[in-house]
Amino acid sequence: MAFSPAIADAFAALFLDASSQSRIADLHFQDAGHGFDAFGMHPSFVALGEVVLAPLYDKYFRVRSWGHENIPSQGPAVLAANHSGNIPIDGMMLWLDVLRHTQPPRVARPIADHFVPSLPYLGTFFARGGMVGGSRGNARTLLNSGEMLMIFPEGVPGIVKPWSKRYQLQKFREGHAELAIRHQAPIVPIGVVGGEEQLPALFSSRRIGKLFGLPIMPVPAVPIPLPVRYHLYYGEPIPVQEEFKPEHADDPQAVKEVAARVQEAVQRLVHQGLSERTGIFE
Amino acid sequence: MSTKPSKKSCVLVTGAGAPIGEALVRSLLDDSRIGHIVAVTGYHQDTFPIAPSKRLTVQSVDIGRNRHLHQLLFDTAKTLGVDTVIHTAMHLSATDEGQRVHAYNVDSVRNLMAHCERHPTIRRLIVRSASAVYQVQRDLPVLIGEEHPLNMAGNAPQWVRDRIEADVSACVRMGMSPLQIVVLRMAEVLAPGTGSQLFDYLESPVCFQPAGFDPMINLMTIDDAVEALSSAIHSVEQGVFNIPGADTLPLSTAIKRWGRIGLPAIDSVLTPLYRIRRRLTGHDFRYGMNRRWFIYSGVLDGQRAHEVLGYVPAKPIDWPVRKRVTSDIGRGSL
Repeated sequence: MAFSPAIADAFAALFLDASSQSRIADLHFQDAGHGFDAFGMHPSFVALGEVVLAPLYDKYFRVRSWGHENIPSQGPAVLAANHSGNIPIDGMMLWLDVLRHTQPPRVARPIADHFVPSLPYLGTFFARGGMVGGSRGNARTLLNSGEMLMIFPEGVPGIVKPWSKRYQLQKFREGHAELAIRHQAPIVPIGVVGGEEQLPALFSSRRIGKLFGLPIMPVPAVPIPLPVRYHLYYGEPIPVQEEFKPEHADDPQAVKEVAARVQEAVQRLVHQGLSERTGIFE
Repeated sequence: MSTKPSKKSCVLVTGAGAPIGEALVRSLLDDSRIGHIVAVTGYHQDTFPIAPSKRLTVQSVDIGRNRHLHQLLFDTAKTLGVDTVIHTAMHLSATDEGQRVHAYNVDSVRNLMAHCERHPTIRRLIVRSASAVYQVQRDLPVLIGEEHPLNMAGNAPQWVRDRIEADVSACVRMGMSPLQIVVLRMAEVLAPGTGSQLFDYLESPVCFQPAGFDPMINLMTIDDAVEALSSAIHSVEQGVFNIPGADTLPLSTAIKRWGRIGLPAIDSVLTPLYRIRRRLTGHDFRYGMNRRWFIYSGVLDGQRAHEVLGYVPAKPIDWPVRKRVTSDIGRGSL
């Protein structure tokens, strides 16, 4: 019942304006036969996602973004961003920003850590909006069918890093680089500024996290996220498909090199964002 | 995709008393590329529902007994020149366990392979397996390829273990055997009498599912199962193939399409709840056995079957399938 597309449609009809509804209707996705794709994404829930996130995006975090022309309008692609903020609001803002700034609209498919699909309700709602569990097989299938992935190569260590390490990228994993080379997909580096200050944590505990099925649980210093302003910078795509052949995905040096280039590009965009903003709420 | 030369095949179908086997025999009777058909059933041959035909021989054989199987293959099958064996027989009830069931599910496959390898006319063995052999868990891909891990959990019930053992027994002989061996891992056939756990689950007016989860499932029809088996008969390729159905949908949508009421319940109460249902009403559905499929999505990837066998699921389910089983079909060994 909670996951009924009819309910999602009703919310979208009530709260989305006509132009947003018509944009969602243009959404390209691979219907597996009953209105859902094989991973459980459904356009009605994408619309519901916009309904839920729009107030946060427009009013609370007042997201600004630059470089939308760097988001490929079609074909496989990997969006690689820095991760921060103790809860994945950065992923949600990015998801909606991509949806709103692509024509025809594209859903960036967030690749989530393994624990996310096992979270009751949340895991299913995220899946309806396009999230997939972080397995190689899932990512491969999506890229093969021309989808765009959203990956945070820092993983959990990035999102729960302490205040003292804000905007210092944690070591990038290399899976995104290997996938991009193997599937000949450009990588779009993204710098996210604002997320680090939204929910400062006093400390993070693995033991408390385990109680909730999470790898780690941050204990926040504030009861709700602060209304920081989000700044999203899309960098020029790294044309992996032009520089490497699929077989280079088995070359550890090539994979490391691409991952390092992505990290460098993301760090540069983060620095640009930090230098351009005038305050965390501005 | 390679197909056999024009010589007519003579085929032997085990499990012909069950809906899939019966539908396959009917389809083969209409297939001009097939010569003679030997339909093997666990029931008395006089009760076989297909009208007699010059191209059809019906034999009542307990394939769990090696001696009976030997006699079938080296007498009837040899005389008729059977070149392809399609093994669709499986013990269907998930509540029955023990040596007899194991013999029917697993020993029959081993014995069948051993006999077929020595047989003068049999060249091809097609084994029907099930998607239940696969493991589904949070860190595994939603789309299940043939290389996907199998459910090797030590606490898996015999229903699952037998299917895996039979499947693996056939797979390990590939390439070593003079036979062309094909294993078809089929999606759950949502029809009465097929041993479908989901069909049994949907028999209740109220269907409980774990709160907070709504996994994607893939279901198929008997027509598509027959189509996949026919594609395998007419191909010369061997190997393991996933056979998906045309219906990929969330569990809640399946419940709704069936006209049932889906209610969320705490996961930990569902196993005892469905155990009580099984004991009170004689239903066959075991929640514990299906638990992971009710939480994590698992959809068969049929790309290999499409590329090699030319199989594409084409017959979606005509919702809801309400036909109830009136006999013992669906519970025992057929």
